[in-house]
Amino acid sequence: MSEALLAVQGLRVRFAGEDGDVQAVDGASFELAPGEVLAIVGESGSGKSVTAQAVMGLIPSRNATVEGSVRLRGRELLGAEESEMQKVRGAQIAMVFQDPMTSLNPVYRVGAQIVEAIQAHRPEVGRHEARVRTVELLDSVGIPDPAQRVDSYPHEFSGGMRQRAMIAMALALEPDVLIADEPTTALDVTIQAQILRLLERLNRERDLATIVITHDLGVVAEVANRVLVMNEGRIVERGELDEVFYAAKDPYTRKLLDAVLRLDQAPPLRERSTAAPLLEVTDLVKHYPVKRGLLSDRGVDRVRAVDGVSFNVEQGETLGLVGESGSGKTTLSRTVLQLLQPTSGSVRFEGREIAGLSRREMRPLRPQMQMIFQDPYASLNPRKRVGQIVGEPLRLQGRASGEELRRAVHELLERVGLAPEHYGRYPHEFSGGQRQRIGIARALALRPKLIVADEPVSALDVSIRAQILALLAELQQDFGLTYVFVAHDIGVVRHVSDRIAVMHEGRIVEQGPADEVCERPSDPYTKSLLAAVPIPDPRESRARRAGTASS
Amino acid sequence: MGRFAIRRLAGMVAVLFAVSVLVFLIFNVIPNADPAKQLAGRAADPQLIASITEEWGFDDPLPQQYLTMMGNIFSGEVVSYETEENVDERIVEGIPATFSLCIGAAVLWMFFGILFGYLSAVRAGGKLDRALTVVAVTGISIPVFWLAAILLNYLTYQLAIFPSGGYVGLTENPLEWANHLILPWVTLAIVYVGFYSRVLRSNMLDAMDEDYVRTARAKGLSERRVMTRHVLRNSLVPIVTLFGLDFGALLGGAILVEGIFNLNGIGQYAYESLLNLELPPIMAIVLFGAFFVVLFNTLVDIAYAYLDPRVKLGSSAQ
Amino acid sequence: MARKPHGESAAASAGPWRLALRRLRRNRTALAFAALFVLIVVFSLAAPLWANGVADTSPNATHTLEKVEVDGETREVVNPEGRPVGPLWLGAGGKFFLGADGRLGRDEMVRLMYGGRTSLFVGIAAALITTLLGTAFGLLAGYYRGWVDATIARAMDVIWAFPVILLAIALGLSLAVGGLQIGPLHLSGGSIWIPILIIGVVYTPYVARPIRGEVLALREKEFVEAAVSQGAGPLRVMLGELLPNLLSTVIVFFAIGIANSMLLESILSFLGVGVQPPDTSWGTMIGGGFELITSAPLLTVIPGAMLLLTVLAVNVFADGLRDALDPKAKLRLEAHAGIAEPEGTPV
Repeated sequence: MSEALLAVQGLRVRFAGEDGDVQAVDGASFELAPGEVLAIVGESGSGKSVTAQAVMGLIPSRNATVEGSVRLRGRELLGAEESEMQKVRGAQIAMVFQDPMTSLNPVYRVGAQIVEAIQAHRPEVGRHEARVRTVELLDSVGIPDPAQRVDSYPHEFSGGMRQRAMIAMALALEPDVLIADEPTTALDVTIQAQILRLLERLNRERDLATIVITHDLGVVAEVANRVLVMNEGRIVERGELDEVFYAAKDPYTRKLLDAVLRLDQAPPLRERSTAAPLLEVTDLVKHYPVKRGLLSDRGVDRVRAVDGVSFNVEQGETLGLVGESGSGKTTLSRTVLQLLQPTSGSVRFEGREIAGLSRREMRPLRPQMQMIFQDPYASLNPRKRVGQIVGEPLRLQGRASGEELRRAVHELLERVGLAPEHYGRYPHEFSGGQRQRIGIARALALRPKLIVADEPVSALDVSIRAQILALLAELQQDFGLTYVFVAHDIGVVRHVSDRIAVMHEGRIVEQGPADEVCERPSDPYTKSLLAAVPIPDPRESRARRAGTASS
Repeated sequence: MGRFAIRRLAGMVAVLFAVSVLVFLIFNVIPNADPAKQLAGRAADPQLIASITEEWGFDDPLPQQYLTMMGNIFSGEVVSYETEENVDERIVEGIPATFSLCIGAAVLWMFFGILFGYLSAVRAGGKLDRALTVVAVTGISIPVFWLAAILLNYLTYQLAIFPSGGYVGLTENPLEWANHLILPWVTLAIVYVGFYSRVLRSNMLDAMDEDYVRTARAKGLSERRVMTRHVLRNSLVPIVTLFGLDFGALLGGAILVEGIFNLNGIGQYAYESLLNLELPPIMAIVLFGAFFVVLFNTLVDIAYAYLDPRVKLGSSAQ
Repeated sequence: MARKPHGESAAASAGPWRLALRRLRRNRTALAFAALFVLIVVFSLAAPLWANGVADTSPNATHTLEKVEVDGETREVVNPEGRPVGPLWLGAGGKFFLGADGRLGRDEMVRLMYGGRTSLFVGIAAALITTLLGTAFGLLAGYYRGWVDATIARAMDVIWAFPVILLAIALGLSLAVGGLQIGPLHLSGGSIWIPILIIGVVYTPYVARPIRGEVLALREKEFVEAAVSQGAGPLRVMLGELLPNLLSTVIVFFAIGIANSMLLESILSFLGVGVQPPDTSWGTMIGGGFELITSAPLLTVIPGAMLLLTVLAVNVFADGLRDALDPKAKLRLEAHAGIAEPEGTPV
């Protein structure tokens, strides 16, 4: 057995807070062997990021107590002098963070930031030499045209390229260990696949020991050799990749694995309704003019958010709308509901044309079509109580008041799995999953026929997602609802939809029954999307990669 | 970059026009009194009032009046009826003193403001921070003219540490120039030192939470390097904008400081005119003051683009 | 963080306001200075009591040729060279507690208290106007955007272009003589409402702009979209959804506005274009005292010190308010006449 490169023993991190202390990491011990890829998996609050920060000595808060031992090649890092740690950071252990947009300083050029890292550790290296090395690094992580790009500013890069640049910066001093904290969470699926490929290649070519921290089991299955599962500050499961996935011993791990929604799991086939479609969208267009100002040479430019979209939604079915960021799916969902005015095109609800109606004309129709929003933290007014939030639609539409209103709200709260005493509480007292329930109750209040759900589970932990989706399915049955389910995660969409429409750059490139779109896609974009989605099953993941490699 | 500059300059012209219209409204339209009488001030007699009405065209329709007024001011023909001095000439004479005062104060407050702000942020929560905060909050609460009067009385009249007012040209005698300006500089700067140190402190504390600072630390940079090259550098950007706004507006404070310390600049001219209720100089000074602010801010905006590359490229990025 | 949400517990729900109050109560410094402010207000409001009960005079009554009994001695209120008597403290039973105010021989203490009333009144009233106008304009501009925003923003820009002091002086000078007459509004030149209106209007852009910025950000939030999707109209959205989330900012602006307004009023009054006689404010007192700065410095020092203490108290309390209302606040509007808040990216 080769000697461990990094050995963590009994790590405990405690934060002192206004309302009491929090034990973020509660006795974590593990080892990292040279050249291996270790994945640390957990949901939010599991302590996985804090563990990584503790290894680097980068815990941000001043109220933190760190105990235990972290040894790099036998040398104790915890409690070491700051000047010693500065030599270790970047040169022996390097870290890549989640959001490449904010992780690079916007006022310095990308190349300059990498040169800074090099010269901080090797002051004898001249600027010219450092620059040459930087260009090499950018090339090695797959950035096209590196000699030019080295002088670009971070905002001139796309998200994927920025992350590559971050990785290049991390590699600049040839560290032994690379820690990647949710490296692909902020990226589109197709870009994510590329970055994971890159990390894998670097690990192979440079024998670079890597720790990947993530909540996404698909990512784990794609890259990891060994896995640690963390829950509430403790490591509850550890082992080789296949061991953890197929022979998990810990109940929390098993719960996590079960909750992961897989691409090949489809909902039971529903009876197709023969009635007229509930919603008919034809050639819908939403453009935003981009003003160029006084002395432009090109006139008015346009952002074509929705560029001619047509689809129908049958009564009682769920249409899944899949797209990456910038595909226009968010704009589409709002334009359909007339929260944004369409530029042109037609939207018929129950046969009646609603596109271009005035606010007053729309008002009586609003109760029939409601929305569930993505961000549980931004979709509820922080200054209002839950009862007010859920009761507002009823009050606005004059449906109920006083005692009757109260009763109606209580009923709704119970229906979505909350308790009546939650009526008087404020949103900040609830978890993300509970807030989504409140949002669902609000959407249900007016007994709509159509609900557009915009990424309703994307911001939630994996184990909570399944619960919310189950609730939505239940409600659909009980209330005869029709859903348009918008998401970027095709696995989630597959799980709930009867039919799927795939959006790309403002257009629907493919639509049809869910299993057809997912198993026999015809459009190239759809194919690349499906190919990029990480499969949370190590064997299948390997098979797919082998298949792509050989083809 | 050039297109951006041209756009800003065009906008500037529009604002300058609006400013001149507002000055016109303030002095000639809004008041509930005969504008000719107001202009004449205390030297008013029916003959003078009649000739003023003629010269300024107060019997003409409003747009005509506006043009006449602007014409008079910019052609350098406005005269203060009481003192019979040419207003524009005296304003020009006062420029060296006013500039000396403003630039000196600006250098002083930027230096100390940034220094105190930086120290406060780096040692946030500690004793130094708390002491500097006390200094800063007191600084922004002091009435400038009162402080000037107190310093004038105790340090100049009573203790004769500093000369009792008056302005000595830089080219005449640099030492005396500075000697006469020290108290005015300090008086004018104190308020801004307090303000700027707090703004910088607040900006730096925010910046310290940013992701790119975390990256800088993760790269193994020394704490000092992280603080100066990343936290401070990014925090200075809004300070520059603020400085642009404040420097342009200094004329207001200069009126008080020059008046009290007797510094023969534009500010003192305004101070005297106010005490004597003379309108023409105030009109001209307010107009030029606002013009200076707009001009200066436009220049700062254009310079800002150099500091923050995201602005330069505007909507073309992404 | 491995912390459980409170939703499950039976603890009493603490709204954002109550939490803020709790935080404020823990801030001893802020509370101490708030008490100081209250003390000063009480001091000023007690003016008539002191004037009638103790000093037996009024703020404008002159006593040039009179004499006063002090510990058996008889002193002249104003001596032949024009020098006023210094503080007598309680020597004459409270009369001329702080001395006489110059050639006119008025009771400085009485003037100080009445001056406080005026200064506080002008400061608070002006701040109220600024806050109301600024919030209204900011809300309208930020919510409606388009031409409403363009119009309001241009108007604010024009006011903003003037150094605050210069604009206030210009308005003060031109209105001091003939007063103001716009439609039904008729104010005489000496009315106290003229400086109040001037100060209130001049500071409006400094509130309108930041509020507009916040509204622009808030209106993108999903809970606003939710309200619209339920059929809420513009008024409902502005007042029911946006305004409650703006209140903490507005409250802090109001507090800082009081400090700024009091300072600006003192500048205007010092220069003679603010509060007009027969009204007295601390600013006019400093102005009057300045003439006698070498012979009777206290006449300048004392009213200025009172002003400094009051403004300081308000500023410290405003800081505490800001920390309590929004611990992660990015408010950057600081207190001083003529200083502006940086406005994001200028493009």
